[in-house]
Amino acid sequence: MEILGWLLDIYANREDGLVLWLIGEDGKRYRLHQAFSVTFYAAGPAPRLRVLWQFLRDQPQPVLLARTERRELFHSQPIPLLAARVLNAADQPSLFKAASKAFPDLTYYDADIPLALRYHAVYHTFPLAYCRVRVDAKNQIQHIEPLNSPWDIDSVYPPLRILTISPEHDPSHAPPQSLKIHYEHNEYELPLKPTRSLLIGLAALLRRYDPDLILSAWGDTWLLPYLLEYSRALNIPLPLNREAKRSIDQRPDRTYFAYGQVIYRGRQIRLFGRGHIDVCNAVLFGDYGLDGVLEMARVTGLPLQGAARLSPGTGISSMQMITALQDQILVPWHKQQAERPKTALDLIQSDRGGLVYQPLIGLHKNVAEIDFISMYPSIMVHFNISPETVGEHLPNAQPVPALNLFVDQQNYGLVPRTLEPLLNKRINLKTHLASLPRWDPRRKRYKAWASAHKWLLVTCFGYLGYKNARFGRIESHESVTAYGREALLIAKEVAEDMGFTVLHMYVDGMWIKKEGASHADDFQPVLDTIIERTGLPIALDGIYRWIAFLSSRLDKRVPVANRYFGVFQDGSLKMRGIETRRKDTPPFIAQTQRTMLERLAKVQDANQLSQALPELVHILRQCLADLRAYRIPIKQMLVSQKLSRTIEEYRTPSPAARAAAQLQAIGKITKPGQRVRFVYTRGKPGVYAWDLPTPPEPAILDIERYTTLLLRASSTVFQPFGVDEESLRDWVIANAGYAAPPGILSGGKSRAPLWTASLSV
Amino acid sequence: MGRTLSSITQVFLQEQAAFARFRRALRREDQHALDDLFVSARQHLAAVSYAAHALPFEVFLLSMLLEEHKEVIRLRQMLEDLQHQRK
Repeated sequence: MEILGWLLDIYANREDGLVLWLIGEDGKRYRLHQAFSVTFYAAGPAPRLRVLWQFLRDQPQPVLLARTERRELFHSQPIPLLAARVLNAADQPSLFKAASKAFPDLTYYDADIPLALRYHAVYHTFPLAYCRVRVDAKNQIQHIEPLNSPWDIDSVYPPLRILTISPEHDPSHAPPQSLKIHYEHNEYELPLKPTRSLLIGLAALLRRYDPDLILSAWGDTWLLPYLLEYSRALNIPLPLNREAKRSIDQRPDRTYFAYGQVIYRGRQIRLFGRGHIDVCNAVLFGDYGLDGVLEMARVTGLPLQGAARLSPGTGISSMQMITALQDQILVPWHKQQAERPKTALDLIQSDRGGLVYQPLIGLHKNVAEIDFISMYPSIMVHFNISPETVGEHLPNAQPVPALNLFVDQQNYGLVPRTLEPLLNKRINLKTHLASLPRWDPRRKRYKAWASAHKWLLVTCFGYLGYKNARFGRIESHESVTAYGREALLIAKEVAEDMGFTVLHMYVDGMWIKKEGASHADDFQPVLDTIIERTGLPIALDGIYRWIAFLSSRLDKRVPVANRYFGVFQDGSLKMRGIETRRKDTPPFIAQTQRTMLERLAKVQDANQLSQALPELVHILRQCLADLRAYRIPIKQMLVSQKLSRTIEEYRTPSPAARAAAQLQAIGKITKPGQRVRFVYTRGKPGVYAWDLPTPPEPAILDIERYTTLLLRASSTVFQPFGVDEESLRDWVIANAGYAAPPGILSGGKSRAPLWTASLSV
Repeated sequence: MGRTLSSITQVFLQEQAAFARFRRALRREDQHALDDLFVSARQHLAAVSYAAHALPFEVFLLSMLLEEHKEVIRLRQMLEDLQHQRK
């Protein structure tokens, strides 16, 4: 029998070897199986390998042993190995665990590769691939072939049956009373009590609708554990898994440090035969949604449930593993490679990141922002940078700018080989997006995809230099930043040669202006010349009607690299590093700042900007009046801060730590990396945790503190007009008259006041 | 993911801190002038980093000098303009 359909899930099973779920084009869900063997390798002294051979032969799991040779990425010659081909994929983890425990001195390869990746490497499939499958009468797969590619941008999506379940509010705030259930056009609410009827109702729904994907809110951390606990206690089976015989895969929570941040991931609950994604525990779900998660799975090869929860780097390492498997390059289990020694001067030369300039502070008009497209991945692909290609001088090698390193140009590296299709897909998608009309429904999906690609491309650079990454090596990482600095400096030289002023440069972007240049065509020659001279793609991000580069709050003479706001010619705002972008800004303050900026964005002529100032003062005064009259809902005043360590580790507890301590006192534990929500209150301890059982009394709110925060955020908007926080305070609090911004009142020429502020709060 | 070398901003702040005692002993107006010099060095952090000099303070000094010279050029131009206007 031949079936056409989409690949949903793959896992190992002791009875059937490998189980594969297919969403048939005919609407049926097929549980297919296949005998699938997996091989792992061991290297080491021949006598030790002989003993390992005997050990493996005596184990109960059926295994075929052989002597072989394979290529390791960092060696030019193949290395001799013992190959252990485990006939049932389900046996491999236990057999490998026994072997590595008994022979810790040996080096292992291809030992811990997820089964799905091995399968995709052999059959060129991928999650949600549209496949043609031939099976026998017992549903054993005889032949499987994908009919599309993860790099297509117009693939047909499978018709997924999605069931959404969520409690009516955050369970960490207060115990929920009911569950909202949604699928297709049905929507209803199930009360949590009595639990027996809830479980019976849910079980019936799962059997009747048979979803492919359960999308939950707090499903990993609260909902599914809650349901499973009662299902056991009341002895009412709940068919969360499609594979009835399997127990559910539960993984504990963890806290880790990545990209300068402490990150918390809640416990995870994964299902067999269908997926479970907790939208509150999934990575970047708020950024790219389900479309992004599905795309992440398609391009990385990771199963859906893994792709939704991946940690930085897992996606890119998975892609590299598939490339390595297909090219028969060994994937190390634990990388054992020390950094090569270098001189102190070499270290000073090479251990550097991208160039970050200090912008020219102030308000600038008609400024173009131009960015290299995916600069670091483009460099890896264009200059063939990979751990195995960067090193000593070889014939055909190219010197890395300003470093004592060379890049081999003869052999195409593993990293560029892996990245090239992804980078091409991203560029393809961007071109496609630019040509689609605004109303096109595909835009939302494509944007989510682009966002997923961006995340992968960002982490691929970090992983190139991460010492524990299987295919990482610091020299290749250093080469990428060296090429990046070179490209940015070339871009600066090109712009200056063509008469432009370079206002700012930031790693892969540049802000330039020239008298008389205000249309895209005026900047095109600069772009063309930069592309020609660097070989890297660069694009015009947009032309700002005006942009303000801000100074440091502590010293107004000192510029800050990533703190600016501006308005593009199409009226859209871009802001970086200011309060409204920060997650710890109370929502009403972020909103006020945004309203002020939106007001400024309406001004067509940049020279007229200061005329909008009276209105900004008015917006601020209104907000201040609301604040002082307790008219702002408490939810809008919440500050959300991350706990960076455990409460006991704080020497002087931060507001977040003090709020977490209040929660701890009632048994609610906050782990490092988790956010704590609180309001500022008068007196000690100065905060009140939002997730305490009773909401805070408005009378205890620290209105003065909120006033300061509001003034500070507003002064950011006023800064380019020469108005600082103190003047602003004078204007709106001390009842001083507002005449005009200081810059306008220069030279002793006084003008009639545009508007006079008086205190009405 | 720690750093082997300090970032250029950290190096700058360390160098500035190393002169804390010198600054303290200066008169108030001289302290302000010294602060100005450090601010002008700070404008060129990216270039100092790119220079990857073994003794970064030398490049910070050069950056201060650079800003001083720019100021001299600006004042000279202003003076010339004024003289021109008078004629």
